[in-house]
Amino acid sequence: MMARILRRLILALALLAVAAGGARADEGKAGAPHRPFRIYMALWRGWEGAAQGFKDYFANQGIPVELIVRDAAQDPSRLPEFVAEAKSLHVDLVFTWGTSVSLGMLGSGPHPDPAKYITDIPAVFAIVSQPVETGLVPNYRSSGRNITGTTYLVPVETQLNLIESYRPFKILGMVYNPLERNSLVAIDEIRRLGKAMDFTLLALPADVVDGKPSPASIPAKVAALKAGHADFLYIPPDTFLNVNRDILTAAALEQKLPSFAAAENPVVDSKAMFGGVYRYYTVGQLTALKAAQILMGGKKPANIPIDPPKRLSILINMPVVRSLGVYPPMKLLGLAEVVDPTAAK
Amino acid sequence: MKLDGAIPLFLRLVVLAVLVLVPPIGLIAWSAFDQVEQAIAPELDGKALAVGHGLTEQVERAVGLGIPLDKLVGVEEFFAPTLDANPELRYLAVTDANGKVLFLRGAEREALQPHYRTTDYDLPADQLRAVIGDYVDLALPVEVKGIRLGMVHVGMDANFVHRRVMATLVDMGVVLAVALLLASEILLFVVAVNVSGPLRRARAMMARARRGDFTRLAGVGPLDEVGLFVRGLNAVVLRTDDLYRRLAAYIDEIKSAHFDAGAIERAGMIEGRINFQYRFAVGGEPKAVQERQAVDIRLALFLFTFAEELSRPFLPLYVHALPSPFPWLTPDMAMAVPIAVFMACVALGSPWAGAITGRLGSRPVFLLGLIPAVLGFVAAGFAHTVADMTLWRAFTGFGYAVVTMACQGYMSRAARDQGRAQSLGMFVGAVLTASVCGMALGGVLVERIGFRDVFFVSAALATLSGLLAWRLHEPREPAAPARPIMRDLLALMRNWRFAVLILFAAIPSKLALTGVVYFLVPVYLAKLGYGFGDIGRVLALYAVTVVVLSPLVARLADQTGWRAGLVALGGVIGGLGLLIPALGPGLPPMMLAVFCLGLAQGLSASPQLAAVPDICWIECRNFGQTSVLAQMRLLERIGSTAGPLLGAALVPAMGYAGAIAALGVGVLASALVFAVASFAYGSGPHIQSEERA
Amino acid sequence: MAWPLARKVSAALLGILAGTVATTGFFTYSKLQSVLSALAESRYGVVVYAVKHNAEDQLALGFPLRQLRPVQDVIDRMKVNDSRIRGIEVFDASGAILFDTDRGAIGASVPPAWVRAAAAAGNHPFAITDEEGRIVGLPLVDSLGTVDGGVVLRYPGVHLDDLLGASLGGLARQAGLVLAVFAALGVAGSYRLFGGVRQRLETMDSVLGTVLAEGADPLPEDEPASFETDFAGFAVKAHETIHDLEDAMQDVERLDRLA
Repeated sequence: MMARILRRLILALALLAVAAGGARADEGKAGAPHRPFRIYMALWRGWEGAAQGFKDYFANQGIPVELIVRDAAQDPSRLPEFVAEAKSLHVDLVFTWGTSVSLGMLGSGPHPDPAKYITDIPAVFAIVSQPVETGLVPNYRSSGRNITGTTYLVPVETQLNLIESYRPFKILGMVYNPLERNSLVAIDEIRRLGKAMDFTLLALPADVVDGKPSPASIPAKVAALKAGHADFLYIPPDTFLNVNRDILTAAALEQKLPSFAAAENPVVDSKAMFGGVYRYYTVGQLTALKAAQILMGGKKPANIPIDPPKRLSILINMPVVRSLGVYPPMKLLGLAEVVDPTAAK
Repeated sequence: MKLDGAIPLFLRLVVLAVLVLVPPIGLIAWSAFDQVEQAIAPELDGKALAVGHGLTEQVERAVGLGIPLDKLVGVEEFFAPTLDANPELRYLAVTDANGKVLFLRGAEREALQPHYRTTDYDLPADQLRAVIGDYVDLALPVEVKGIRLGMVHVGMDANFVHRRVMATLVDMGVVLAVALLLASEILLFVVAVNVSGPLRRARAMMARARRGDFTRLAGVGPLDEVGLFVRGLNAVVLRTDDLYRRLAAYIDEIKSAHFDAGAIERAGMIEGRINFQYRFAVGGEPKAVQERQAVDIRLALFLFTFAEELSRPFLPLYVHALPSPFPWLTPDMAMAVPIAVFMACVALGSPWAGAITGRLGSRPVFLLGLIPAVLGFVAAGFAHTVADMTLWRAFTGFGYAVVTMACQGYMSRAARDQGRAQSLGMFVGAVLTASVCGMALGGVLVERIGFRDVFFVSAALATLSGLLAWRLHEPREPAAPARPIMRDLLALMRNWRFAVLILFAAIPSKLALTGVVYFLVPVYLAKLGYGFGDIGRVLALYAVTVVVLSPLVARLADQTGWRAGLVALGGVIGGLGLLIPALGPGLPPMMLAVFCLGLAQGLSASPQLAAVPDICWIECRNFGQTSVLAQMRLLERIGSTAGPLLGAALVPAMGYAGAIAALGVGVLASALVFAVASFAYGSGPHIQSEERA
Repeated sequence: MAWPLARKVSAALLGILAGTVATTGFFTYSKLQSVLSALAESRYGVVVYAVKHNAEDQLALGFPLRQLRPVQDVIDRMKVNDSRIRGIEVFDASGAILFDTDRGAIGASVPPAWVRAAAAAGNHPFAITDEEGRIVGLPLVDSLGTVDGGVVLRYPGVHLDDLLGASLGGLARQAGLVLAVFAALGVAGSYRLFGGVRQRLETMDSVLGTVLAEGADPLPEDEPASFETDFAGFAVKAHETIHDLEDAMQDVERLDRLA
């Protein structure tokens, strides 16, 4: 099942190449011909949206860059080698993707060891879910060192408000992976917010079989949520659920349970009803903007706050909406990106 | 009808002017507005259509995505921001193909439903306009894949255009009121120059003649009826003079050439008797009486002050729009500095201007003062930055000091003939009327022609005032000796009663005037989004209150002798009034505050002056009362200068309403201190020493 | 003889009337014009906002501005909806026109003032007037919060006199008539007012002549001081003085002759 969004991205890529060429030509005429900036891009699991957004930003802005792309392929042991290479190449800036790469190359705390980490070269990070909790940066206003970056997770409170604005709810249903500590933390936070927002959380763990959460147990859990009068199914940004999104969302649809996803995929290429996310692509663009501020604007990374994109992407899966008959309010619909592969528009 | 007094004839003329000005403008406006309304209305339809198209598109998108029209969710909430942003739209609705109201916001379903049921909506789109009660309803079809599913209705306020057009009446009323005040100033001037002035001089001449003094003629103006009449009177005087000269010549002839000593003696007796009974000009023709009247210079003063006041409602905001070369100045301070510098220049220029007026006379000094003033106006119109703007305000401030002192000098000399109170009243009256007109019209004017052009208008008006001053007749008079300033100042401030009056009454009231009325009020109201027309009217309210109240209070103070009490009461009212804007933003609280401040000024200004001779008995005797009053002016202008600066300093910490309230607290506290101290005015060693002196 | 008083005052009154009518007319006209302009501006502001909204939705998907083909359809549709719209243009941050209802203009540049206005506008509409008409515009802001360009809509300035059209002439005639009537009233009033003054001055003049020729009784002492009493006193005193001087002259002549 090829997602419409991917087709779009490919189309966009092709067009971008043309646009970037044009922009470069303009740049040349304007007479700012300096050596391209060299950026070392360290990735965790290959080229994807954020990396593309990062690259496209420079192309759109007509900023000449030379990208040195390295993929760790989810292997932490390669990171020291990346650090050494970036240093030896004397690149202008380092881009790190994900928590593992960022921590592995940039270190944590106020004074990481210069021998083991990149400290002299400015760096930008993206797709780090908890930059403060992991010690990458002390707070979101300033890293206090030679790095800055972006966040990409929509705050839970914003997600809940989004659900509320679609349709008020009293009981929020959720299936979670009991082996994932983050899920438990998230449940606590949702419960706390539930007190203020006046709803109760009905959270059911997936069954654990052989020390692993069992995908097969998901439909039963969803049915139990429905029986418990849940108004909405909340799908957290969780790897287990992301992998098994088709099972989860199909079960919800079968139970006529509207679902909200805090990630792109369950809505875009599965059957979650709607979602609120920061798109990786936009996050990559914003990270590139910060990189450009460092490279072109002469700003110090420590003076650039760490923040998410200004605009939240609201995704609505119209076929699911139609089959549930739970229609989005006009206001939300006006702001949303509609996923509707059947519409011949 | 008193012919030589300007007032009754003038009043009849003013009535005539009102009759000639107000009805025709009212009539023309009445018929024009009706047609303007009809002309503007389609523009509103166009806007409603544009809004309707946007909403319809969204509805069509939703329906196109498979949501049935009657199942749309949150349509009312979706309509809300559009209704909030467009006050001329009253409701928005969606109906189905049968005209049933599905969604509606802003009106009652019952008011619209019957109409929609009975209307045929298969008409072409441009005919779907209907008047329903107070609404104008525009209907836009909702069509998906060529099928008409229903309608989006945009309901306009049928009276919106009417109200907007009528709102311009306020501006028109302001212009008309200013025109009437200006008309009365001009008529007063025309009557003074042509009728009352010549007849006054004639009367002075006749009064002399009644006492047998035929040494003077009445100055003759233009040869109109009055001129001819006065010339007739002068002819009588000239005839007596001629007779006298012939007689004197004859007697001289007899005295020098007659042979009969008895005849000489008797001729001498006749001469002696005539010279005893009458006085004739010695050695030549009788000279013309050129009596000054305060009213001669009034129109010039009015026009000049009017010119200066025009920029009052917007000056700080004009400065705000200019780039500031001083990054260390807060924006508020940058707005305040030109006002403060202007006030400081007025304060510093006045003593010098008073002195040279005494030496050179009013007319040349008036013209001299116009040079920097007009230069300042013109250059302010071309100002580039806050820095040069401040310099040009300093020029105009200095010129303002010189011109007003020249006028004051002229009027106070006229006072020798007319009475001091009347001439001072004339001065204050002209300045305040000009303030009313200038502030009110300035606000309206700047909305039309912009900041810079208003300064050119000011320059033109000031030049016109110079032309009027040019034609003043001014008899030469001996120069009044100028007094040294600083020494007297110190001596005065050692008088604690005077010091209390200055520090706790005069300075706070000036401080509130310049800090609040000239600075904080315009800036705050502009920040709240009010136009300059409104700002000008709020400011003018201050001057109107003072104009109306001052003469009444002056009389009250004279009758009761309760001066310190009125001064303290004024301070309390003004201070309390300034607390009002802190209660909430908007025009009414601000108007109330400004009104209270006007009330305060009206209550305390003339009692402040009137109290001076009582509490500075010795100083008035030693230095002269005029000098003491001049010192008081100088000292209170410390408050004028500090007002805007203090206001601007308070804004960053407290906001505009907070800064106004803080100044109010200051005024209130001062008034209380003054009240307590004034109880001690009647006792203490100072009065006793004065009594011994 | 100089102008009589009534004529002078009439002239002053007419001047004031003319000035007042001119200024109130000017102010009222321009205020109404500004009401009209504001209405037109908000009308087209709605359209521009719709274009902005549409374009920004697509920008949020990550497309660069110059690739937003659907925007061209949107602005074409807007122009069809409202025949008064002269054109809608979408330009990028450098001022190059990307989409235009006039397709021939695509690729050209908008005036730098528009680009500056868009960059400075924040999220508020900006309005510009140039010789060709009026412009209302909004900046385009992408999801990073940077201004990528702007949308402007050109429309002809609407003028009150155009809208009033034929009725303007009738209005002017009506106003002229009203003014003429009241001007005449003013002149008549001032002649009446100063006719009284003139009459009294003439009476006094003739009284003076009579008194000088024939003499009169001295005034009672307790008369309150006024112009009239001073005048009467003057007349009597002048008569007396002239007589006295003439008597003295005769006395001297007699002396001269007798001797």
